[in-house]
Amino acid sequence: MTLSFDFPGGIYPPERKVRSSQAPLQRATLPEQVSLPLRQHSGRPAVACVNPGDSVQVGSLIAKRDGLISANIHASISGTVTHVSGHDIQIESDGQDTWDTLAPLSWRDTDARTLLARLDESGVVGLGGAGFPTQVKTRVIVRHAIDTLIVNAAECEPYITADDITLQRYPDDVLEGAQLIASLCGAKQIIIGIEDNKPEAIAALEQAITRSQLASVTLTVIPTRYPSGSEKLLIKTLLNRTVPSQGLPADIGVLCHNPGTLLAALNAVRAGQPLVERIVTLTGDAIARPGNYWVRLGTSMETLLAQVGLDTDRLSGVVQGGPMMGETLDTLQRPVVKTTNCLIAATQAELPPGPQESPCIRCGACESVCPVQLLPQQLHWYARAQDDDKLARYHLFDCIECGACSYVCPSHIPLVEDYREAKSRLRHQQIETAKAEHAKHRFEFRQARLAREEAEKQARRHARLAQTKSPTSNNRADATAQPASTAMPSAAPQTDLRSLRIAQSAAKAAVRKAEKVLAREAQQAPHESHEDLETQLATARENLKVADLQLAQARENTQASTEESP
Amino acid sequence: MSMLHASHANDASSAGTTAPPTASLMRWVIIATLPGIIAMTYCFGLGVLSNIVLAAALGVLFESGVLYLRKRPIAPALNDSSALLTGVLLGVSLPPASPWWLIGVGMIAAVVVAKQLYGGLGHNPFNPAMVGYALLLVSFPTYMTLWAPPQPLISDTLWAQIMGTLPIANIDALSGATPLDAFKQKAQGMPAFQFWASDPLPDGTLEAWRLISLAWLAGGVLLLCKRIVSWHIPTAMLGSLLIMATLFYMADADGFASPVFHLLTGATLFGAFFIATDPVSAATSRRGKLLYGAGIGFLIIVIRNLGGYPDAVAFAVLLMNLCVPLIDLYTVPNPMGHPKRILGAPR
Repeated sequence: MTLSFDFPGGIYPPERKVRSSQAPLQRATLPEQVSLPLRQHSGRPAVACVNPGDSVQVGSLIAKRDGLISANIHASISGTVTHVSGHDIQIESDGQDTWDTLAPLSWRDTDARTLLARLDESGVVGLGGAGFPTQVKTRVIVRHAIDTLIVNAAECEPYITADDITLQRYPDDVLEGAQLIASLCGAKQIIIGIEDNKPEAIAALEQAITRSQLASVTLTVIPTRYPSGSEKLLIKTLLNRTVPSQGLPADIGVLCHNPGTLLAALNAVRAGQPLVERIVTLTGDAIARPGNYWVRLGTSMETLLAQVGLDTDRLSGVVQGGPMMGETLDTLQRPVVKTTNCLIAATQAELPPGPQESPCIRCGACESVCPVQLLPQQLHWYARAQDDDKLARYHLFDCIECGACSYVCPSHIPLVEDYREAKSRLRHQQIETAKAEHAKHRFEFRQARLAREEAEKQARRHARLAQTKSPTSNNRADATAQPASTAMPSAAPQTDLRSLRIAQSAAKAAVRKAEKVLAREAQQAPHESHEDLETQLATARENLKVADLQLAQARENTQASTEESP
Repeated sequence: MSMLHASHANDASSAGTTAPPTASLMRWVIIATLPGIIAMTYCFGLGVLSNIVLAAALGVLFESGVLYLRKRPIAPALNDSSALLTGVLLGVSLPPASPWWLIGVGMIAAVVVAKQLYGGLGHNPFNPAMVGYALLLVSFPTYMTLWAPPQPLISDTLWAQIMGTLPIANIDALSGATPLDAFKQKAQGMPAFQFWASDPLPDGTLEAWRLISLAWLAGGVLLLCKRIVSWHIPTAMLGSLLIMATLFYMADADGFASPVFHLLTGATLFGAFFIATDPVSAATSRRGKLLYGAGIGFLIIVIRNLGGYPDAVAFAVLLMNLCVPLIDLYTVPNPMGHPKRILGAPR
């Protein structure tokens, strides 16, 4: 145990964990059919690589990752593919449950590239809720030096006990999984952060650490207070380091993983078993046999809840995730996916509907519980007024949406809902402005290209004219026609030349500036597209060409006129 | 989104860690005024209760009237008891057995002008009860400075006073000075001990005010224990009041009253727990509340010692209400992950 630090605010909601944490971990019965969405992770949906009628085994690859941030999806039962669409793949079971595993690897004797490829192949993603692909997270070492791996076992949300049970049942495996990930990302120390309301898991971990005799692993028991398990707050609590606003833990040398993810990663490597099942907490007063269950991905929530004795008469609603940050489901015809950690079948008495909202009396209760030190009530006013300027100034995007403010609000204002709405509106706005900006740059480039083509045409015509003129330059008849064309430039040749010269050097400066900006941006964010900046540079170059041509032409004209005038 | 709410979370593990919902919050404040009201009634007679009953009834009446004109739902707004509370707070601030029309004018200023015309609960920049009080104080100074000396529960003239039929001269004869008033009227250069030795107040006045102040303190402690008000504003206000009073007292012990005198007479403790802590018109962040409270304490002493009014809670609170937008702007907390600032507007 080491010292732990404090974070501001926080609340003490009822835990309600006992019912699901007391029952032993069980296996849910194999589903007759599964429906596997192509998007069970953050990033882009996977692309199906099977067709209806194909027979698959447990662990067969059925959809491949698309792009960098995406993940493979595997069949979770053996049987026949019955349906493939842009959203999901359905499989009918053959009742055999035959497996198609990859070759087991010993991670201590295998190089990092093979291991990363294995995590990638196995479709391992963060099982805590966000579903970020684990291999991508581990690859941040390309850009950041990682010194610490944090095992986020705080599990501060009420009801959920999936991580608790995982640690009680598989402490050695989680520890080994942590070592695997730590070795991949080069972390020197592993810190397990766990709330003090999980004594069995703490005891199991302590024994496992003693057995493994690892000096680099520390177990830190932190006081139970919601939302201690929020990534940034846990890092603050364990290491007293602060993740910069809009930044990632990797920016300060930390990676966070959830115990379930570490177990899945170890299984993918050691047993060659892709991510096809996970531990789900099934709880709530409307369930007869609450507890934690190994559930195959794609199992319908309805069948799953029916298995554990769902009392539909007493049920008032099913919540996916915890009661603080989760969502109320409008239908149970949804499959369990990689990020489903908990289903709460709640009765009316347990999670009653929110009472009537009353006006904010500015009491400041929200401010005193906000763990990231925002002013929730100010944000509430500005969100309702759609005052985007003020929202940015009061750091709307630093809100972690933990719901502590909504929990304590004496006026029952759904504050977090307001923030989510405002955030999505602002994101949408940002996309729209980017689009408009993009269109503007494309238009400017087109204008510049047309101007350049026109100038080139002019130059060619001029050259042609000069060529045809030069042999007959002494021809008097032609010279009589000449004054009409030369009279105009000769009137103000000097000023015209000077302004063109100025225009040319301005165009040169614009090119240089565009180059500099592009180079700087490319260095700062090498993986992002800089199409707009490139377009701007191209536009500046076109403009420079136009200026060059015009200047050259004007010079020739003045030369011609000065030659002629004597 | 949060499906759990503190008001439903009645499990043993989480009970008593958060404040109750808005409506019962207001009711708790009303309950916490009971010790003070009882003490005042004991000392100054039933005139205190008549004030409160009249003011509260008029408050509810005016609130429903304005809501009706604004075409807003009336029941939920009355249910939050905020108009009732405003009535109670103004009622205890007025001299006992004030005439009905005085209370009526005060409540119109408080509920109709200061609260509803600004948009109702949560939108008023000024403390409604104090707006009503300040308006009455500057408009009807004669009536507002006539505090009867401590008297039996039922006085003979109670009904006539409430109905406003008692001539002002008679009231004047009935009334005495409050301790703050008396000290203010003290002859220039008279040493304080000489002043007190001259027995300037009717019997029991000073004791009555002390008792009442301590009763308000008891109610305030109840509010703190129930987490209905945070400690920031009362502590900052009383702290700065004591410091300021001590400074003045140290400079001229004869010219200025002692810190304890300032603390235990007038509306100091009532103001610290029941007026300054009105969340709607106070600063919002914790640092802001400290500044806001300290400002009130500072202004009270400045006005009492140097200004023209014997007591100053209403003016101090209203002046600091004016500063709230500025205080709020400069005390925005540092969110996690942002560079540290001591004070300053968010960028």
